[in-house]
Amino acid sequence: MSGNIRVDIKKRYSGQEDAPDFNLDVNFTASNELVVLFGRSGSGKTTTLRCIAGLGKPDMGFIEVNGKVYFDSELKKNLSPQDRRPGYVFQNYALFPHMSVAKNITYGLKGKSDAAKEQRLHEMLGLMHITGLQNEYPSRLSGGQKQRVALARALAPNPDILLLDEPFSALDMVVRMRLRERIHSIQETLDIPVLFITHNPVEAFTLADKVVVLHEGSVHQEGRPEDVFYNPCNRHVAELVGVSNIFDADFAGKSEYGFVLNTDSISITTTTNVDADSSYSWGVRPENVHLHPAREDISGCNVFSTTVHSVVNRGASRVVAVDIPGGGSVLLSEMDNRNFGKLDIGPGSECLVEIDPRDVLVFALEEPAG
Amino acid sequence: MLEQAIFPLYITLKIATLSTILVVLVGLLISYLLARRDFTGKNLVDILVTLPLVLPPTVTGYLLVILLGKNGVLGQSLFEMTGFGILFTWQAAVIAAFVVSLPLMVKTTSAAIGSVDRELEYVAYTLGHSELETALFVTLPLAKKGIIAGLVLSFARAVGEFGATLMVAGNIPGKTNTMSLSIYTAFQSGNDSLANILVVILVIMSLVSMAATAKLVNRWKV
Repeated sequence: MSGNIRVDIKKRYSGQEDAPDFNLDVNFTASNELVVLFGRSGSGKTTTLRCIAGLGKPDMGFIEVNGKVYFDSELKKNLSPQDRRPGYVFQNYALFPHMSVAKNITYGLKGKSDAAKEQRLHEMLGLMHITGLQNEYPSRLSGGQKQRVALARALAPNPDILLLDEPFSALDMVVRMRLRERIHSIQETLDIPVLFITHNPVEAFTLADKVVVLHEGSVHQEGRPEDVFYNPCNRHVAELVGVSNIFDADFAGKSEYGFVLNTDSISITTTTNVDADSSYSWGVRPENVHLHPAREDISGCNVFSTTVHSVVNRGASRVVAVDIPGGGSVLLSEMDNRNFGKLDIGPGSECLVEIDPRDVLVFALEEPAG
Repeated sequence: MLEQAIFPLYITLKIATLSTILVVLVGLLISYLLARRDFTGKNLVDILVTLPLVLPPTVTGYLLVILLGKNGVLGQSLFEMTGFGILFTWQAAVIAAFVVSLPLMVKTTSAAIGSVDRELEYVAYTLGHSELETALFVTLPLAKKGIIAGLVLSFARAVGEFGATLMVAGNIPGKTNTMSLSIYTAFQSGNDSLANILVVILVIMSLVSMAATAKLVNRWKV
């Protein structure tokens, strides 16, 4: 079956006492693939998912799944959730606490014979590797088991689309890894679009065929995970994907290595084309900021000497903050513990910073969303 | 002496049971709507239903007399249609018990329904179940502790109803002399032994129903 999703919706929330106005304006398309809606909490991810499921109504726009129009404000068409029947897995799984696992899984098989229900139940138990749990009640299940039951319940009626709202947030790392693989294989087996919400960049990167980045209610970038993570289109997306060093800059000219931007008293060269008339900010991932001992002799562009401001031990890695000469801001550099040990530095010590011009990302200021 | 207690016991159970059945049916509908729907006049419904909880029962009774009397809005049309004057009948006592115990049912049940996770209802909708089916098989079963609590409170309130019943149904021997009314009459007329018997019956009834409810509710895990 050839299927795809087209979503183009607008919804306005007038701010109540403590909440500001919020405008949702989301527009994306996808084929039968695993799409990750990625953004901070409050960016409109869950609202978008609910509108697709029919649990929320957009003010205007259009939603189509698998050639079936779910919502069209011009035709005044708005299918009920009962008519859309999406597979929906909620963040807390929302298993019916008063029903056994078997009743939960077969609850969506309304109108089917008992034999058909029984057969589908066993298919689902097998698919999710939870055979033997059918007579348990949800309160006796572990987090990972609950999640698999919720997935089985969502998939049992053969939905046209699977919607997953932060399904991993309550699970430990090992269970997450396994379920991540399972969701991927489910998507491939069933060949339906799967929409997956997360605020976790690692999850978005490892899981997605396609990432849709939401920020303050609108789509800022959509594409393959590599495109979004290595070439964020603006500052907001860059911050979301882990570019924690972002600075405003002035255009300074052109050099043999590329274009030069000034921030405080340092000059940063980038291979990205920049235009003298516009304002920019530049950014670099902390893992692309390389530190060297002060005595070392390195030449090239984007090398400057500075003082270590502070060091944070993150367990598996260290994050070193160094002062940017001539300004109050700091630049973060992340490295593994072995390299940190070789550097032999601490707060107050001198060191050299080196950044490859190809790793310098440039963002136009005040770039319109989308 | 005991036979003098039989009729009050019978009429009290009849009135309280019928009133509680009505309270459960109407109360569940109003509670669900108050907890889950937004509609114009929602606050007004809430206030009207709750009012008998704070009004003195005699005032509630007086208002019912105005409403149900042969010149009252409801009473008049009922009398014209059927020739039945409802005041000073056991049916009027059912209405009085219903009106004063409804707020106890609605307050307890709407709180219980409100605390059921809405996402469970949303899941049921996405699985193809209508709002009515979801309410009957997901929401209400999960709110059953609150519903049972509301039912027990309403029944107890109906059994103990005095003021409004006296206003609308009188205290007619062999017709509307409920236990609460009979205890008062017996006490007033110095018939202490009848008062004692009625009091003992009421206390035992209350203890048994409380114990039975506690036992039932404790068996439920969810």
